Amino acid sequence: MSGERWKAAALPVALLVALEIGARASGIQSDALAPPSAVAVALAEAFADGSIIGATRDTLASAFAGLLLGGAVGLALGIALGIFQPFDRLMEVTIEALRPIPSIALLPIALIALGFGYRMEIVIVAFACVWPILILSRAAVRSIEPRLIEVSRALKLSPGDRVRKIIVPAALPRIFLAFRLAAGIALIVAVTVEIAINPIGLGASIMTAQQALRPDLMLAYLVWIGLIGYALNAGLVVAQKHLFGPAALAGEAR
Amino acid sequence: MNPALLMWRAASFLVAAGFVGLWQLVANLKLVSPVFLPGPDRAWASLVRGFTSGDLLAKTIGTLEHMAYGWLLASIVGIALGAMIGSSKAMRSYVAPSLEFLRPLPVSAIIPVAIALFGLTQGMALFVIAFGAIWPMLLATVHGFAAVEPRLYEVARSLHMSRLAVIFKIALPSASPDIISGMRLSLTVALILAVVCEILAGLDGLGYWVLLSARAFRSADLFAGVILLGAIGYVTAQAMSMVEQRLLRWRTSGH
Amino acid sequence: MILSATARPHPPAAAVSPAKAQIAFSHVTLDLGGKTIIEDVSLDVKPGEFLCIIGASGCGKTTALRLAAGLYQPTSGDVTFDGASMRAPRRDVAIVFQDYGKALLPWRTAAGNVSLALETIGMPASQRPARIDELLHKVGLPNHAGKYPAEMSGGMQQRLQIARCLAQEPKALLMDEPFGALDAMTRQGLQDEVLELVAASGATVIFVTHDLEEAIYLGDRVIGLLPHPGRIGIELTIDLPRPRDQLTTREQPEFLRLRRELFDFIKASEA
Repeated sequence: MSGERWKAAALPVALLVALEIGARASGIQSDALAPPSAVAVALAEAFADGSIIGATRDTLASAFAGLLLGGAVGLALGIALGIFQPFDRLMEVTIEALRPIPSIALLPIALIALGFGYRMEIVIVAFACVWPILILSRAAVRSIEPRLIEVSRALKLSPGDRVRKIIVPAALPRIFLAFRLAAGIALIVAVTVEIAINPIGLGASIMTAQQALRPDLMLAYLVWIGLIGYALNAGLVVAQKHLFGPAALAGEAR
Repeated sequence: MNPALLMWRAASFLVAAGFVGLWQLVANLKLVSPVFLPGPDRAWASLVRGFTSGDLLAKTIGTLEHMAYGWLLASIVGIALGAMIGSSKAMRSYVAPSLEFLRPLPVSAIIPVAIALFGLTQGMALFVIAFGAIWPMLLATVHGFAAVEPRLYEVARSLHMSRLAVIFKIALPSASPDIISGMRLSLTVALILAVVCEILAGLDGLGYWVLLSARAFRSADLFAGVILLGAIGYVTAQAMSMVEQRLLRWRTSGH
Repeated sequence: MILSATARPHPPAAAVSPAKAQIAFSHVTLDLGGKTIIEDVSLDVKPGEFLCIIGASGCGKTTALRLAAGLYQPTSGDVTFDGASMRAPRRDVAIVFQDYGKALLPWRTAAGNVSLALETIGMPASQRPARIDELLHKVGLPNHAGKYPAEMSGGMQQRLQIARCLAQEPKALLMDEPFGALDAMTRQGLQDEVLELVAASGATVIFVTHDLEEAIYLGDRVIGLLPHPGRIGIELTIDLPRPRDQLTTREQPEFLRLRRELFDFIKASEA
C-alpha cells in the first residue's frame, strides 16, 4: 500500500522539482510559467489579502445556487417522467431538442436579459445541471422494484405520499449520484462563464492574473481551482459511501 | 417502429410544436420584451436569411472545424497515451493516480494559461479544446486496457502474438466500448470549449457570432445562432451513436 | 504405454520416436504465493497419447495443465516438450480453456476468431477463407461463420474455440475441463467429436476433468492427483477398445471396474 502511494506521488513530485530547477536554471521570464515555489508564494499571498477567499465564495455560491435551481427542476421533471410513462413519451421530442444545446451558448442570451453578475451565471449553471439530474432521476425512478409500487397501491397511499414515502427513498442512492455528477458540472460551468465573460469569482480572477502578466498568481488560481474540484468530488464520494454504503459506488459508469 | 410507437412519436412532435406556439404567443403578446425574446418566426427568418444571403454557413463550418480539429487531436493523443499507460502495469501505478487527481479539474481553467502561451489565436483554441476533450478518452482508454479479460492475454501468449498484434487485435477492440463512450463525452466538451474560445479570442464561428448579436441586441440572430449550436450538438451526438452501433454490433447482438 | 485396440494412427514422423515422451514432467514442484501447489510430479506423455487428469477440487490439476502449457514456470524440476524446456507457451501446443466465453474475441465472428490463429501463424489472407471453412466444418459449425460468439450456445462456442486451436495445427492439445459448463447431451456429443478430431490429427492430448466417466471414456490413461499439495496418487491404463461408444463402452465391466477404482480414490483423497 505504501509502495503504491509512493509510486502515485513520484510523478507529480518529479514534475514539480523539474519545473522548479528548470525555471531557476534557465532564468527565462515567462508570461505563462513560473517556478512552483513562486506559485506557492502567490497562493499564500492571495489567501493573506483575502482576494482568493472572496472569489471562491462568489464561484461556489453561483455554482451551488445554480445546482439547486437546476437540480430542483431536473428532479421534479425526472420523477414525473419516470412515474408517468405517457408524459415521458409526450415530452420526448421537446427534451431531445433542448438537451443538446451547449449551456454556454445561452451565455449571450442570459447576458442581455440579466446583465453581468450572479443571476446570469446561476441561470446558465442551472440549465446545465437540469439534464444529468433529469435523465438519471428518471432512470432511477424507472428502476424501482415494481413490488414496492404495488405495495404503495395496496396501502392506498395518496400520490404525494407515494412520491415522498416510496419513490424518493427508493431512488435516493441514484439521485444522490446524479447530484454528485451535476455538482462537478456546476463548478465547471460557473468557472467557464466567469472566464468567458462574467467579471466575478475565480474565473475572472485567473483571467485578471493572466492579463496582468502574473503567471505565478495565474497558476496559483489554477492549482486552487483544481483543488476545489478535487475536494468537491472527493467529499461527495465519501458522503455517498457513508450514506448509502460502498454498493452505491459499484457499477458506476466512468 | 410499430404503429403505437409512431403515434406517440407524432404526439410528442405535436407537444413540441405546442411549446413553439406558446413561445410565439408570448413573443406576440410582448410578455417579454422583443429585445430579449424574438418569436420563433423572427428566429427562423434570421436562420433563412443567414443561410441564403449571410455567412451563417461559414460560421457554422468555423465552429465545426474548431471542434473537429481539437477533438481529433485529442482522440489520437488520448487513445495512444491511454494505450501506453493502460497496457503497462508499472505505468499504471505511476501515472494513473495523477490522472485521477486531475480529472475533476474544471478544464476551462486552463484557458488563461493557453492564452498566455499562445495568445488569442487558433492555436490557443486548438490546445484548449484538445486539452479538454482528451480526458474522457484518455481515462476510458486506460480503464479499458486495464480491464481486458486476462484469459485473452493467455490466448495471445499461446498463439505467440506480437506486442503490436496484441494491442490492435485484442486490447483496442476489447477497450472499444469504453473508448467510444469517452469519445462521445468528449464531443460535448469540445463543442462547449469551441464556443468559449471563439467568444474569448474573437475567432470566426457561431460562438463569437452569438456574442456579437447579443452586444448589438439583434436577438433574432442570437436565437438563430443558439438553435444552430443546439443542432450541432444534436447531429454530432447522433452521428456518434450511429458509429457506436455500427462498431459495437457484436455487443448488442444475440442474447 | 502402447496404444491398444485403437484405430488411431501414429502422429506424422517426428524428430522423436514414438517410444519417447513428447511432454515430460520431471520432479516438477510449483509454489505460488507461498503455497506449494504441485509437489514432485514426474510424468511422461507419449506422442499421440490421450491422457486424462482427474482429482478433487483444489488438487492442482488445472495448474498441472498450465505448467504443461508454459503459462507457469516450475519452481523446481523441468517441463519439456519434445525434449525442449517449456519456458513460454508454444504455437504447436494449443490450449482449450474451460471458460470459452472469456477465451473468444466477442467482437469477432466465428470466422474471425478462427482467423486470429491463422493470422498469427502468418497464413496469407487469400488462403484463409478456405481454411476457416474447412475448420468450422470439422467442428460442426459450417453455417455459423458470420455469427458472433454472443449469438452462439455454450456448446457452439466451445466448438469454435476448438476450431481456433486446430487452426494452430498443434502437436498437442491441452484441454482444461472443456465441457465442464455444458449440459449432459451437448457434452457427450462433444466428447465423441473430440475423439474423432484427435484421432484424425494424431495430436497428443492432456485433458483435465472432474468427471470420472468422461476421463475413462476418453483416455488412454488416467492420472488422479491428490490435493494439498498436488501429487500423483493413482495411474490407470484404460484398455477399452476404440472407437468408443457412448452406450456400449460405458456398459462394459472393465469400464465399471475402472470407475469404481477412481471413485474410491477420490473418496479417499477427500477424506
